[in-house]
Amino acid sequence: MASLPSTSRRDFFARTSDGLLGAALMHLMTDDLFADKPTSIQTKEGNDSHLGHIGNPYDLRPKPVHHPATATSVIQLFMNGGPSQMDLFDPKPDLAKLDGKPYPGSVEEIGNTSVTDIGVMMGGQYPIKRHGESGMWMADTLPHTSQMVDDICLINSMWTDHPNHDNALYKIHSGRLFMGYPTLGAWTAYGLGSENQNLPAYVVLGDPLGLPKNGTRNWTAGFLPPVYQGTPFRPTGSPILNLSKQYNQPTDVSATASELLKTLDKIHRSKRPHRQDLDARIESYGLAARMQLTANEALDLNRENAETLRLYGVGKANTDSYGKRCLMARRLVERGVRFVQIFLEEQPWDSHVDLRANHKAICERTDQPVAALLKDLKRTGLLDTTLVVWGGEFGRTPTSQRSGDIYTGRDHNMQAFSSWMAGGGVKGGLSYGKTDDFGHKAIENPVSVHDFHATILHMLGLHHQELFFRRSGLEERLTGVNVPTVVHDILA
Amino acid sequence: MFLLAHGELPVANGGPTDVLFETDIKPLFEIKCGKCHRENERKGELDLSSMQGIYSGGETGDDLLTKDLDENALWHQIDSGDMPPAEEPALNPQEKDLIQRWLLAGSPSKTSTIKTRESNVHDVLPVLLLRCNSCHGPRLQQGGLDLRTRANMLKGGKSGPALIPGDPDNSLMVQRIESQACPPSKSLLKFFVRRPSSAEVKLLRDWITAKAPNGDLTPDVATTQPDPLVSQRDRQHWAFQPPQWPASGNSIDDFVGQKLAESGLTWSKPADRFTLIRRVYLDLLGLPPELNELQRWSTSTDRNWYPKMVEHVLASPRYGERWGRYWLDLAGYADSEGGTSADPLRAVAWKYRDYVIRAFNEDKPYNDFLMEQLAGDELLGQSQVSSVTNETVDKLVATGFLRMGIDETGSRTMNFVPERLKVVADALSVVSSGLMGLTMECARCHSHKYDPIPQRDYYRLKAVFQGALDEHDWSSFKQRKLNVATQEHQIRIAEINPPLEKQQKGLLARQKKIETDIRLDLLRHHHPEQSDQDNLTTLQALKKADNTRTLPEKQLVERLQKAEVLPDSEQPVSIIDSRIEAEQLKKQLHRLRQQMVPPQTIRALWDMGRPSPTYVLRRGEHDKPGTLVGPGVPTVLTNGKTPFQVTPLKAASQVGNHNTTGRRLAFASWLTRDDHPLTARVMVNRIFARHFGAGLASDLGNFGRQAEPPSHPQLLDWLALKFIQSGWSIKAMHRLMMNSRTYQQTSQVTDQHQQLDSQNRLLGRMPLQRLDAEALRDSLLFVSGRMSFASGGVPDAVSVDRDGLVSVYPSYSAPPSNDATPNQVSSNQPDLESSAKQSTRKLEQSQANSYWRRSIYLQYRRTEIATMMDTFDYPQMGPNCLDRPISTVSPQALMLLNDKHVHDLSLSFANRIMGIIESQKLDDQNRTRVNLVYQTAFSRPANENELELGDMTLSKLERDWQGDRTQALATYCHTIFNTAAFLYVD
Repeated sequence: MASLPSTSRRDFFARTSDGLLGAALMHLMTDDLFADKPTSIQTKEGNDSHLGHIGNPYDLRPKPVHHPATATSVIQLFMNGGPSQMDLFDPKPDLAKLDGKPYPGSVEEIGNTSVTDIGVMMGGQYPIKRHGESGMWMADTLPHTSQMVDDICLINSMWTDHPNHDNALYKIHSGRLFMGYPTLGAWTAYGLGSENQNLPAYVVLGDPLGLPKNGTRNWTAGFLPPVYQGTPFRPTGSPILNLSKQYNQPTDVSATASELLKTLDKIHRSKRPHRQDLDARIESYGLAARMQLTANEALDLNRENAETLRLYGVGKANTDSYGKRCLMARRLVERGVRFVQIFLEEQPWDSHVDLRANHKAICERTDQPVAALLKDLKRTGLLDTTLVVWGGEFGRTPTSQRSGDIYTGRDHNMQAFSSWMAGGGVKGGLSYGKTDDFGHKAIENPVSVHDFHATILHMLGLHHQELFFRRSGLEERLTGVNVPTVVHDILA
Repeated sequence: MFLLAHGELPVANGGPTDVLFETDIKPLFEIKCGKCHRENERKGELDLSSMQGIYSGGETGDDLLTKDLDENALWHQIDSGDMPPAEEPALNPQEKDLIQRWLLAGSPSKTSTIKTRESNVHDVLPVLLLRCNSCHGPRLQQGGLDLRTRANMLKGGKSGPALIPGDPDNSLMVQRIESQACPPSKSLLKFFVRRPSSAEVKLLRDWITAKAPNGDLTPDVATTQPDPLVSQRDRQHWAFQPPQWPASGNSIDDFVGQKLAESGLTWSKPADRFTLIRRVYLDLLGLPPELNELQRWSTSTDRNWYPKMVEHVLASPRYGERWGRYWLDLAGYADSEGGTSADPLRAVAWKYRDYVIRAFNEDKPYNDFLMEQLAGDELLGQSQVSSVTNETVDKLVATGFLRMGIDETGSRTMNFVPERLKVVADALSVVSSGLMGLTMECARCHSHKYDPIPQRDYYRLKAVFQGALDEHDWSSFKQRKLNVATQEHQIRIAEINPPLEKQQKGLLARQKKIETDIRLDLLRHHHPEQSDQDNLTTLQALKKADNTRTLPEKQLVERLQKAEVLPDSEQPVSIIDSRIEAEQLKKQLHRLRQQMVPPQTIRALWDMGRPSPTYVLRRGEHDKPGTLVGPGVPTVLTNGKTPFQVTPLKAASQVGNHNTTGRRLAFASWLTRDDHPLTARVMVNRIFARHFGAGLASDLGNFGRQAEPPSHPQLLDWLALKFIQSGWSIKAMHRLMMNSRTYQQTSQVTDQHQQLDSQNRLLGRMPLQRLDAEALRDSLLFVSGRMSFASGGVPDAVSVDRDGLVSVYPSYSAPPSNDATPNQVSSNQPDLESSAKQSTRKLEQSQANSYWRRSIYLQYRRTEIATMMDTFDYPQMGPNCLDRPISTVSPQALMLLNDKHVHDLSLSFANRIMGIIESQKLDDQNRTRVNLVYQTAFSRPANENELELGDMTLSKLERDWQGDRTQALATYCHTIFNTAAFLYVD
């Protein structure tokens, strides 16, 4: 009995009392009786949040784009803490001239809430040169990334609305200054679904040393259904929480239990016609099983050759950790994951003290892996469709900050910071936007966080106005109420 | 524009060839815009029928007559085609051209002058409130100066009058501001103040130049005159009309039956008895029935067994723990403040949670329930009872309803006016969408796009709360609390707590020591080469914030972190043992905290009796004040010509010795009027939705014009009126709904129903519902005999492990009085050889006799939601949740299949089944086991096929487990936990 016609399902269970029971149940236990057809899952484009409970599960099936996309996936290299723009990307000779002198203006202009700790002007901390054919500026502390400048579009005129980490992090990830709103990755998963149903659409690669500032809220789905939230993959051991059994059980037992579960669920389903949500649930168990294989395989770096591992700095003390995660990100994108975020523990760029040494150390950890990711994506052709985004939540002040009696770091600066993008349809070798003579304020082609988000959505084939979720009578959007500008100048 | 002496403005009269307002524009506006923008109907507060009206502008405050067309908002609307709106006749190109020419010519008119708004003290008060109020307002009068009224400004402080009318240069307040002496640099962050902008300083100067007139501006409130912003037409929408008794129909089934018949359908067949029992228990209690109750109802020969069962279940104290939870979602309950990374705990939010559970269990009339939550403090003031009773405490605790949103204002840097306004907005959003089914959030920035809610009405509602939630007279969550307790409570605190506190101190010291020891041990073990000095430096660096560490300090800390995250297999036994001890200490501490008598602290909201003026905020921006408004309710819900009656009251003595505004009490009284169009409808619809899977009005939080109309409007009205008639009794509504034929149908979907009504809007069947996170977790614990029914009090803490798994500390309370007390869990641990693993086992065994309380009693810290709750769609409260989404995703499968806690529970379940067999001296066959499992987990006996399948599976599992029948049963139970039959309710 290879398969029964599906119409006879109910009859089948009715017949089990007529003496065929033993054989039938044996069959049930050993054969995937009803796996004759793939189950269809009822899907519904989820703009009607209030209908969510009537039985239209939100899912990750691929959704149509609003316009042709230049990028199909995103790798966000999030630089938590706020890297210093004037030290790394945006040299300011005037700043060096005033080094050690007071800020020439009202210190309240610096833009932070407190004025008591403002120190003196602080010149760039590293030698900085032009690189590549484009002549893009980059500091000596980024020797590897600076080899890739002709693929990079550097935006020096980013600005945000809050000088505090918490709020600025909410802003850069979710477009709002407050907690509880969906992040860019969640909106992307909601808008596009996933190309690979065996992996989550939105994956977060955290630092083994600990969570970043703001923790899991950096990848929350907010008010969107939880299916769109980022799934953290652990870098060691089992990548997803509960992906493998957290208790001991012989394999035979697991196999029997799994057969029993399938049988019981099929009986349950067969008595409830027209309930596609039950198929979806059965399917979720299938996916769970497949995910175990796929996720482990996706993160298995032993499948990479020695040259690649070396490129990323895997095995080298400084770069091993970040290098592994960059390489994993490439492997995930290769397998159709839509949005990958890589975080660092806490907020290493936040250098209120000892900026020169602290920034250098964090560059040494990330520079080679980041450049390797770009090179690797480029040689495999993936860079054409993968947008790589590098940057933090804000920049740093031209003045030093007093901490005790030392003046060796910089404070937060919401009025200007630098981020860069590469691949996915962005113009390589372009330095976009300008800041004032001290790198303190964006003065030419300023790019707001909403503009930044709208531009990324645009590359992904999504229109920021058409991508919305209805909630409490409001159409909620990533880019808020005021219409943002897609920065077409940086698109190839 | 320049001011004339008499507050009049000259108008361009234009040449003979010019376009003139009266002859060319006015008639055009009348035809194309007059429906919504005339004198008596002013949508967006705009009147286009006169030069005066256009000059006064709309709610945005934009200059609509500016020649600079790029800046002209009137022209923007016309040019873009946004106005007139799509459903009205459009302006043709010639007409647009005419308007453009008129504006470019300087809008000439025959009118000689336009009256300008007269300068008055409210031109500058908003600025002073924002920039000066912290030091010269209700809380402080630095230098003896109070800047809240003109009289006080003239009176001045120690340095003399703050202003000299007509002479801004010599007015002290201008001098201080312009020299930046005020606000003082050092106070900016201390008082969360920013300097006035140059435009604001100019306002102040202009006002003083104009001799600082006080004016006689009164707040805009509802009067006996018709409201020009909302018309009778706007009130036609069904939800804005009071509910009416339908002409015919006197039961739920009458209304449902009629609609079904109209579509050629009828009810599905009645559900069988076991289905009904499981449905009613899970619906009302969120738990399956105990075995003896299942037995009782399934074998009852009483014809009225069903209504009797409903009555019996309604009387269970577990009921409030289920239905109170829905209310907590609506209120946006959380055990932490949110906002900042630190996410500080709300130590006594749980008192509100317990109040809600009690209210549901007592069937507190819904109108009283609302009155207490909206204005408990003012109710107390009204009664003026001075001794503190439980009722006093309850009324204050109830006001916690208005304080459930995210509140970051206790943070060192996030207590500026915009952040405070966000807290206020959250409270208003909970009130409007949760209680009134109105989405008013959009009216914070502009008049509602779809519903007749002018922006003004949002700010009138804000004014209702101004006496308590005043952004210019703000208490952060740290200060906003009361210490009020009954005498008995105070005595218990004094008697019971001191020794427990002492014990805690000891444990805390021990905990601190162990943590230090572990760190040193880790360093010595993994970095033996590191000097003692470096080890000490590491410990000291940990005390500093991460971002103020020097590079060497950072490097040292990172070494420690790396050692900390190494897997157990690479750690020495001493570390494992110390970690176990630390974990046990944590639990001991948690247990001690649970034994403490709760503090007197109440997280309340109360009126301070000195509200700042409330201004409309243009575009919702905190520094763009518009019209001065007074308290009021959405005008569309009134006849538009009834003033909102507010009576100031004496404050309750527990709150202070002052008068309150009486505004919230007035609001609550209005909200709970019998003829309120929304209050009863919104609540019965919510109850209906929980019972029947969807509301009659499908959007539980929006009854406005954009929402889908109700499927059975007459039924909704009938239920609303029945609700009021029953004395606002929620339990009466349960009875009414659950005793209906409609509720007792099967959930089977027939081909006919699928074809004609796939969404079940006609209610021709019951829904198949997935258990929500609480019901699932509670059912797992209950079925396994691991549930403690201890109720109320301090929430059960959670712990977060290194993988991010958030699990719940057991509560250690006595086991429930149950048919069988679980035996020791048999734990299969093959090859536990290493001492590390033995230690791990010790830890597991210490949990073997643990019990867990119902999920409503967990600690809901926003950043640490228990993983099982999170996985099964426990919502983000932002600020609340009116309807939870249901997702079906693989992490749910992974959780139930692979999580250790769930697996442990299946062992308990198996032990419980065996315990029942033993205590009742049953024949311990596989079939007996299977049948008991079905009864316990699915609330029905197994049928013959299922017994056979179960028997065969158990035999196979027994072989797989090499003869261990207990493990075989546990695996069977674990599989049952994973079935759809367990997760869904028919």
